[in-house]
Amino acid sequence: MTEIPETPILDRAHQLRGYRMNKMAMGLGNPEGRAAFRADERAYLDRFGLTEEEITAVMSRDWRTMIALGGNLFLILKISAVDPVRITEIGAHQVGMDHESFLRDRLGKKV
Amino acid sequence: MATIVGGLGTSHVPSIGAALDKGLRDAPEWKPFFDGYLPAQEWVRERRPDVAVVVFNDHFNALFLDRVPTFAVGCAAEYHPVDEGWGPRAIPPFTGAADFSWHLVDHLVENRFDPEIIQEIQVDHGLQVPMELFWGRPSDAWPVRVVPIFVNVLQYPIPLPIRLYELGRALGRAIETYDSEERFVVLGTGGLSHQLQGSRAGFLNPAADRRFLVDIAENPDELANWSRQKYVETFGGEGAEVIMWLVMRGALDPEVVVRHRHYFSPASMTGAGMIVLENA
Repeated sequence: MTEIPETPILDRAHQLRGYRMNKMAMGLGNPEGRAAFRADERAYLDRFGLTEEEITAVMSRDWRTMIALGGNLFLILKISAVDPVRITEIGAHQVGMDHESFLRDRLGKKV
Repeated sequence: MATIVGGLGTSHVPSIGAALDKGLRDAPEWKPFFDGYLPAQEWVRERRPDVAVVVFNDHFNALFLDRVPTFAVGCAAEYHPVDEGWGPRAIPPFTGAADFSWHLVDHLVENRFDPEIIQEIQVDHGLQVPMELFWGRPSDAWPVRVVPIFVNVLQYPIPLPIRLYELGRALGRAIETYDSEERFVVLGTGGLSHQLQGSRAGFLNPAADRRFLVDIAENPDELANWSRQKYVETFGGEGAEVIMWLVMRGALDPEVVVRHRHYFSPASMTGAGMIVLENA
């Protein structure tokens, strides 16, 4: 498929790279995984063999880098079930805009 | 033989379910969105479908990247809401229609579609939200049984739009050859325009969304022949899932009547569309 700018879904190498981080995030879909993440986030991440770069991105809630490293939004969004953040804030972070500008300029909301 | 009373299309944005959970149905931000579904709910009450075939995708809640079926048909007696991270939502489980599911799987395989067969699975907002929008949230049990058809629209390669249209035609014939007096409705879900990933996040295309709500009724052959790239470009990386509406459209006759149509943008980060179609 031809590239569409800034659309990571079409980049296979990128998608495959994110498997471990995505598997980690899938584990937050059950209460035991969420409890382990809350209790000792680093230990939880280590279970899935994440690289230091991935661990840093997750622990600093660096959404842009998580996506850039192959994280899938629908999976890493489960982190927001443990540590709440709005999906529009995740969007704004990826674009590099402040939240209010993102709502206004990208989504056409009155802010 | 069984009959198709119509086809329904709708977005399945998770924030819609969350808004209902938080009691925001009539909040200023949401009321116009939900009010747009009232005529469709009235249509559903009048047409009284017995079975809803719901074409949707799981969002890595019941299925993970380890095994990715391109098409899968639920053949279970019951489908419970899945834990998406916040615990399972407090809505009743969905009763299946396993007898029809097996008829459908037979029919598909005999017509050269080869879906995965699923006998035990939970369902996420992709199925829940459309059911709540068209039927309202029941206190104890849903007044209709469901047959879920899962489509992979997340892990590329996703199926070609034309293939989904053809799947819809096969689904339509499966319903019409099912030895039953039951009334069926087919739901195509997902879309419309949105992108959640990458620096193109927040992409919306309301003009294309409104065009789609016309063309899905009038020019489905044209939409079915678009490339996947064109869907991604036009509707955004995640909005390309709107190709699932083509299954619903393919199950109907070439000529349809639009009973209701609704558009609201944005619901969360998504251009939200709805349509109610009947065979002409």
